[in-house]
Amino acid sequence: MTYTSMETNLDQQFDPNRTSNYEEEFKWLKWVPLILEIIILTIGMINLSSATSVEDKSLGLWKNQLVSIGLGSVITLVLMFPHYSFLSRLAYLVYMGNMGLLLAVLAIGKSSLGAKRWISFGGFSLQPSELMKLSIVIFLAKYFENKNTTTGMSLKDLLMPTVFVMIPMALIIVQPDLGTAMIIMLVYGSMLLFLRIHPKTLLMLTLCAAVALPVVYNYGLKPYQRQRIVTFLDPMTDPKGAGYNSIQSMIAVGSGEMSGKGYKKGTQAHLNFLPEHHTDFIFSVFSEEWGFIGCGILLLFYALFIMSGLSVAYQSNDKFATLLAYGITSIFFWHVFVNMGMVMGMLPIVGVPLPFMSYGGSALLTAMSGVAILVNIANKKYMF
Amino acid sequence: MSFIGNEEQIRFLQERFKMIYGVLFIGLAVLLSRMVYLQLINGDQMRQYAEENRIKRVKIPAPRGMMFDRFNRLLIDNRPAFDVLITPQYLRESGKSKEVIEKLSKVIKIPVAEIERKLNKARMQATFMPVSIKENLSRDEVAELETWKIDMPGVQVEMAISRTNLAKDIGSNLYGYIGRVSEPELPTLNQIASRKYQLDDSVGKSGLEKQYEEILRGVDGSELVEVDALGRRIQSAKAKGRVLSQNPEEPSVPGKNLILSIDQDLQDAAVRGFGDKTGGLIAIDPRTGEVLAMVSRPSFNPAEFARGIDPEVWQKLLADEAHPLRDKTIQDHYSPGSTFKAITAIAALEEGLIDKDTTFSCTGSINLGNRKVRCWNPKGHGVMNVVSALTHSCDVFFYRVAQKFKSVDDIAKYAMHMGLGHKTGIDVGREVPGLFPTEAWKQQRFNVPWSPGETLYVAIGQSFDLLTTIQLANAYASIVNGGILYKPRVVKAIQSEDGKILKEFVPQVMDRTKLKKETIDLVTEGLWGVVNAPGGTAYWTHVPGMEWAGKTGTVQLMTQKEGSKCENMPYSHRHHGVFVGYAPIKNPSIVVALVAEHACSGSHGASPIAKEVIKTYLQKYYPDLYSDKALAERKEAEKKNGGAKPKVETGGD
Repeated sequence: MTYTSMETNLDQQFDPNRTSNYEEEFKWLKWVPLILEIIILTIGMINLSSATSVEDKSLGLWKNQLVSIGLGSVITLVLMFPHYSFLSRLAYLVYMGNMGLLLAVLAIGKSSLGAKRWISFGGFSLQPSELMKLSIVIFLAKYFENKNTTTGMSLKDLLMPTVFVMIPMALIIVQPDLGTAMIIMLVYGSMLLFLRIHPKTLLMLTLCAAVALPVVYNYGLKPYQRQRIVTFLDPMTDPKGAGYNSIQSMIAVGSGEMSGKGYKKGTQAHLNFLPEHHTDFIFSVFSEEWGFIGCGILLLFYALFIMSGLSVAYQSNDKFATLLAYGITSIFFWHVFVNMGMVMGMLPIVGVPLPFMSYGGSALLTAMSGVAILVNIANKKYMF
Repeated sequence: MSFIGNEEQIRFLQERFKMIYGVLFIGLAVLLSRMVYLQLINGDQMRQYAEENRIKRVKIPAPRGMMFDRFNRLLIDNRPAFDVLITPQYLRESGKSKEVIEKLSKVIKIPVAEIERKLNKARMQATFMPVSIKENLSRDEVAELETWKIDMPGVQVEMAISRTNLAKDIGSNLYGYIGRVSEPELPTLNQIASRKYQLDDSVGKSGLEKQYEEILRGVDGSELVEVDALGRRIQSAKAKGRVLSQNPEEPSVPGKNLILSIDQDLQDAAVRGFGDKTGGLIAIDPRTGEVLAMVSRPSFNPAEFARGIDPEVWQKLLADEAHPLRDKTIQDHYSPGSTFKAITAIAALEEGLIDKDTTFSCTGSINLGNRKVRCWNPKGHGVMNVVSALTHSCDVFFYRVAQKFKSVDDIAKYAMHMGLGHKTGIDVGREVPGLFPTEAWKQQRFNVPWSPGETLYVAIGQSFDLLTTIQLANAYASIVNGGILYKPRVVKAIQSEDGKILKEFVPQVMDRTKLKKETIDLVTEGLWGVVNAPGGTAYWTHVPGMEWAGKTGTVQLMTQKEGSKCENMPYSHRHHGVFVGYAPIKNPSIVVALVAEHACSGSHGASPIAKEVIKTYLQKYYPDLYSDKALAERKEAEKKNGGAKPKVETGGD
């Protein structure tokens, strides 16, 4: 079949009676998210091997990341083959299970750097808050699957899902893991906006937020959290203290200039000026060593990756799949945006990893699972 | 819910995707523009910040100039010293600080509590800053710490350059010590320094180290090093390459060396002579004014000062009643006692008040008004001329001579010309001037005219006069060399680090006294008798065949009760022993002056020390004449001639 215009092409994608010629031609597109994942993961491992050659606690950790990739590949295979509708059936169970893990963290969690985020299984530690992002998206996709939101949701419509999002979020905030909570909030907001909130309700919510903000700032935040916001607004208030990380990170990124200092030659990272250079600040290591050219290419891959995710959402056959693919893609987008924004000094410092680049098993497994689901959706379109 | 047959949902969500793409592109555009801003627009600036972060210019301290003795033997050197430090951060991270401290305590033999106290004191500083636990480790301690290195995280041994006196404490008062520039002294120091000092630089604080600071001190260099975020230096070839490609280092310029006129053998002899006695000795070459030996006992070890002295050690040195920090040859003054009689004799002979035939009879005392002034020998010396009066140190003879002077100023005139009562100008700092009384001085000081009776005490050196040992040595040097007063010098030459002589100092004449040959002959004959004639006050130290002469002196600090013995008095009340000697008799080339504090007499307390130095000198500089064998031969010859060593005379002045 031939098509005459973009218009007809768009329509065609939702045409249940279309033939598969078009699909045959672009068959490889179904694997694009996975291909991009592998590309970014490769870049990530190269960069991580540089970041973890610093003589501090991060030394040699890239080997652990290889193990996580192996585990993630197994999970990818497992998640890719069954029809994604099993996720729809299991959505509430997944949600409840993840809630259980979050409660377990509270009870028997492992502390590190003043936060209690991990539970150990033998030699492994798991960070349930990372998985919760995915669980919430599955939960919301299921929840909104049969709701008609074309006219916009009212406050009443929002009540139930908000409660279900707030409960795990509260558990995550007390850990405390502000970064993950923030991502969940952003993903939830993205999904709501996608589904459409009634303009009046939106206005009201905005006003409420404006009123609540100063109250939360003064009473809801811990002093160190407030300090982060102050130093974000003006890092120079305390260049050796709270603003140090932000300044050093910006210096690292900027000093990469056009072509970077070269692999393993980033002085900011290798002389320990960068904090958490293998996890949250991995992007500053990358930009210092690969410069604007490297950063531009990485950003391009992320853009293609996110667009491929959106295209999976766009092309999927049912609303659950669309919402699921969209939600997963928005998780990736917000991670990239918040992490890079933070590393480049545009956003306050919150612990948000950069997908496929930062060291960390739970985050990687979550991300790889997300991609597996995206590929699953893309491939199962015509299998029923 | 499948989209099949649900056109409304399809249209709706398609519309939403347009919005979502819009948000996505805005987000990506924001990130991209931030990259452009940081990396392309501000990239150079950021690169510079990163460089400033990692590259530090650190000082390469210049090696300080060394000191050599007159035979080019090393006296003061820069030697490595090892300190053990603890970095609290690493200790804490290791999680076994207790075991580490206990182990360290065993190795360096410092109690655990003491180590913990030192760590506690440094609590306020950054935890990655090492804390010094013990300085100047022994070789064994260093070796042991190196073996245990792996088991002691946070413990490190560091090398520092220390200033070492190779003869330990011998001569330290002369050489002085160096220390760190402290904050309060920095501005004053920089006012006079040709090159600015920084805090914690080493600077000479006393003695030659201070006097020749500008010469000994080199020019510090600097190098660029790569440091990490904690400011720790990165010691790797890679780091070196990264830094060197940018900037060369500025090498340091070593300080210049000093060649001293000191002879270490004589220093050792002097210390041998003193034993555990307190006091100071100086030996001068009367032909040039060069100082051959200069020791002060007790002394200190300059190594303890080089890297900042322990406050406890410092307090102990300050509180020590024997004043180890004071150079007793130039910074303490004493009455000259009977050693001054030689100058009285010269003044009287030159002024024509007496001649070689003038005699006085000593009965043990003379009457001065209604007071009886005693000779040290209550039995009296009988008839004395100037030669025998010097030999026996007869007080009464000199009382009589004193009475012949119209004014004390006639004695003072000679004393002044011989350098007494004012600084000799030796090239070591903090010399005290001493005092020699004149009529005008007394009038001004006490507002009382000079009473003629006081001249008697001046004549025997027990008056207001306060002289330093170096003045005494220099005065005798000017007697034996015929009246020339040289400026004493310790530094012979300045030498570059590769051994080239940059500057040589020549003898400097300060004053000349025209002395008649007869005067010198008479006085030196008297001084010869002191050591060599039976009845001389130091005759008991006589060595047949060893040609030397001198004059004893005893400085009474307290009036001695009749019949009591000096040795039974409390230590601090005992008399000082003074001795000035010279050798050889013909063309003397060494004058030795010394004070042995609380040693009771010049004869027994002081003269053996001078003898030790002079004997060492003669045997070394005139080996043919004064070898032990030559001395023994001459002793035999003297025995044959019938000269016998008399009984040791006690209480000799």
